[in-house]
Amino acid sequence: MNALALIRTADRISYWIGKLFAWLIVVLTFVVSVEVFKRYILNAPTAWIFDLNNMLYGTLFMMCGAYTLALAGHVRADFVYIYLKPRSQALLDLILYLLFFLPGILALAYAGYGYAAESWRIGEHSTVTAAGPPVYHFKTFIPIAGALVMLQGLAEILRCFVCLKTGAWPARLHDVEEIDVIETQLSQSEFIDEESRQATLKSAHAIDEAARHRSAVTVTDIKEQKKP
Amino acid sequence: MSDPVLGLIMLGLIVAAIMMGFPTAFTLMGVGMLFGAVAFWDPTQHWWQNRIFDLMVQRTYGVMVNDTLLSVPLFVFMGYVMERAALVDRMFHAVQLAFRRVPASLAVTTLLVCAFWGIASGIVGAVVVLMGVIAMRPMLNAGYDVRLASGAITAGGTLGILIPPSVMLIVYAAVAGQSIVKLYAAAMLPGFFLTFLYLVYILGWAIINPKIAPKLSEDQYRLNVPDWLQRLERGPAKRVFGGLLGAFFRPSLLRGAKTAGGKPIGYGFVVNTVLTLMVPLALSAGTLAMTWWYVVIYNAPATVSTAKPLQEQAGVAAPAPAAEAAPQELGAVAEKPVELGQAAEKSTVPADEKPQELGAAGSPVEIAPAPPSEGPPREMTSVAEPAAAATSKIPANFYSWFWAFAALFGLLLTYYYWRMDGEQFEILRELVASVVPLGVLTIIVLAVILFGITTATESAAIGALGALYLAAMAKFPRPVAWWSLLGAIVGIALGLRRGEFVPLLVSASLGATFFGTVIPWAMGLSKSQDLRRNLNEAVFLTAKTTAMVCWLFIGSALFSSVFALHGGQGLIERWVLSMNLSPLGFLFVAQLIIFLLGWPLEWTEIIVIFCPIFIPLLAHFNVDPILFGTMVAVNLQAAFLSPPVAMSAFYLKGVSPPHVTLNQIFAGMMPYMLIVVLCLICMYIWPGMTLWLPEFLYGN
Repeated sequence: MNALALIRTADRISYWIGKLFAWLIVVLTFVVSVEVFKRYILNAPTAWIFDLNNMLYGTLFMMCGAYTLALAGHVRADFVYIYLKPRSQALLDLILYLLFFLPGILALAYAGYGYAAESWRIGEHSTVTAAGPPVYHFKTFIPIAGALVMLQGLAEILRCFVCLKTGAWPARLHDVEEIDVIETQLSQSEFIDEESRQATLKSAHAIDEAARHRSAVTVTDIKEQKKP
Repeated sequence: MSDPVLGLIMLGLIVAAIMMGFPTAFTLMGVGMLFGAVAFWDPTQHWWQNRIFDLMVQRTYGVMVNDTLLSVPLFVFMGYVMERAALVDRMFHAVQLAFRRVPASLAVTTLLVCAFWGIASGIVGAVVVLMGVIAMRPMLNAGYDVRLASGAITAGGTLGILIPPSVMLIVYAAVAGQSIVKLYAAAMLPGFFLTFLYLVYILGWAIINPKIAPKLSEDQYRLNVPDWLQRLERGPAKRVFGGLLGAFFRPSLLRGAKTAGGKPIGYGFVVNTVLTLMVPLALSAGTLAMTWWYVVIYNAPATVSTAKPLQEQAGVAAPAPAAEAAPQELGAVAEKPVELGQAAEKSTVPADEKPQELGAAGSPVEIAPAPPSEGPPREMTSVAEPAAAATSKIPANFYSWFWAFAALFGLLLTYYYWRMDGEQFEILRELVASVVPLGVLTIIVLAVILFGITTATESAAIGALGALYLAAMAKFPRPVAWWSLLGAIVGIALGLRRGEFVPLLVSASLGATFFGTVIPWAMGLSKSQDLRRNLNEAVFLTAKTTAMVCWLFIGSALFSSVFALHGGQGLIERWVLSMNLSPLGFLFVAQLIIFLLGWPLEWTEIIVIFCPIFIPLLAHFNVDPILFGTMVAVNLQAAFLSPPVAMSAFYLKGVSPPHVTLNQIFAGMMPYMLIVVLCLICMYIWPGMTLWLPEFLYGN
């Protein structure tokens, strides 16, 4: 179906950009650590480091907004939502995307553009320190991030339509999840018997999924499901 | 056009809208936009020129340059990297061996490992699943009561979000405009106090009713002492200390011996062994040296000025042979000259001194489980440094205290080394390999924040770097060691300009961390698929979590400014004040509301959306926002343990054997909720427990 291809494309763009900018955390770690060394040991602090840190952090989270949206990673109070049928969920989501999501993100993309353009026009510099670094590049990320989140939001709206039509949510791309740490930990463990390790490895994602819906699967359930 | 009634409608609507389950960040943003558009409505303008659009962008930019939130990604990154680097399974095994003679040893170990690992990661679901695999089955196999086992795991698993460095407290700091550092200092003692209460509960239950936690049979925790170590055991008590040192000077003692893996033992192995043996000594010496440095050198000007009026009194009050005195007595004696004034604070000081005593002694004891009577408070190690620095407020006592502690450390260490047999040494080796690296990193990160040496952001970055270092060391110990050595030399060379000892030390360790992290990682990334995967996971998860928290912040920043624009905040304030609540009544109502909100909502939403409503009211009731924040953090522990919504129960049910029912798990969690409430009451009665450390470290 064509809509699915569109959703997939938007997902891919959000993933790709989000993952690219996610690496800024490594840069941030090193920049701050090197600055600690320079300041405390060499007595040579850098004036613009404060601005740089903020820019790295601000860019990081703004540009990962669409990525998080594509992963359904934004926190939601889902204790009623999870008990609804997919179709009702989609209808509710669709209305709220139009009512709540679009105005705010539109503001980011549209007014953010004016905000950044103004900054470029006056060649704005940071005022944290005298002769601070330029901030217009940084402000440019507001409309860009707004546009990206908007794109992903449109994809989510499309998802709602698909779900309304078919009665099932279209799948999301696979990505790392917090529960993946189980695999890392268990693959290196020395004191767990092989059986429960395999059982847990198999069911970790199902357990995570079920717990989020406030229900529980047991390890044996999964085995039984797999047998027939 | 603004109207308080609109503000109230807004508040009612937001609660309803959030409950609909739409991503909260966008719900807040949308409601803020709609009501803001009304507030800014100007018929002479086109709708797209409404100033709400500009407000939205400005609020967004405000979050982008928020320097409190800057430490969120760094701490989150540190947590995710550590979570993958430190093997919780091995840690559990080592700690369990160390605690094998304590009643309900498995449950105690579970709680401690959960809390400790949670300090590093703070991710509830994963902790519970992992501990469910690692600890639940052994406990059930050993015949432990299901409620005891499940309670220890779920209560321990939620502790991580409270004990610093926790992301929840950073978010609260950003919301309330408080300093992260002070909040961390404030949450320290309540966090450990809560852990302590949990432990008392487990131990008390197991002592009163030993049937719920049968002792393990001897062979379940017997260790195999390798051949080479048996050759070094001396005498009927099988003491190894002399033999190990002997092998260091006379390698011929171990000629022809083989390791457990069957390799011949070289001199490098012997050196390694002796270094391991020295870790308890180094840790206690390090703790003492750091305390000395902080009090006498780093903090000296401040302490001298406060000390003068106290000196005569203290001279009378302080008994020199403090080592033999019980900790409570020491606390009382030390507290007298301070004259804290408030009765409430007075009564907390002994309680505070106790962790200090036990915690400070804990760092050798933790490695060296010699006297079993000191069992429970061992987890308090990480308060050791900040708390031991408490003595600087009483510098006249400081020296006698310091030497008394040094003597106590010395005695304990001597006893420990003297009694050490092959088995003990094996336990020590396990602990050094599993617990000590993570423990040292956590303590360093906390110590540099709490002592005010670096900002929270900087120590978060150092912590993240340290976590990367540990991850590299777990994979490639040898190259990391060599590159660290080189880095230390470079660091010393660069630090020589300063000439002083401490900067030189810091410089050397920073240099070692840089070289030991960057180069092995750069080389290892192409070689090791595990390393690559772990880094990928940590980076992407960090991005996801950071974006989640910060976008929520954007939404709430817009919402709260529009809310204030309508005068809704003022209306609430007048309304609450008109109720004539006493401070106690206010705190009770506020905490009750937060507790109830904790059922359906996540902590992010509670802190970002609902705390801002309470925070402006705090001043009216003379409640310290730091105390309030810490109480919220403790309170949420109870909310996350409450049936029927607590997610940890469902995670645990998922990994448990089928005969464990959800009801049993919830029954196991219930008592911990009561303990949390007890802890909240204690925090209210003795605000000093929360506020003493921040006040001591940073003044008022």
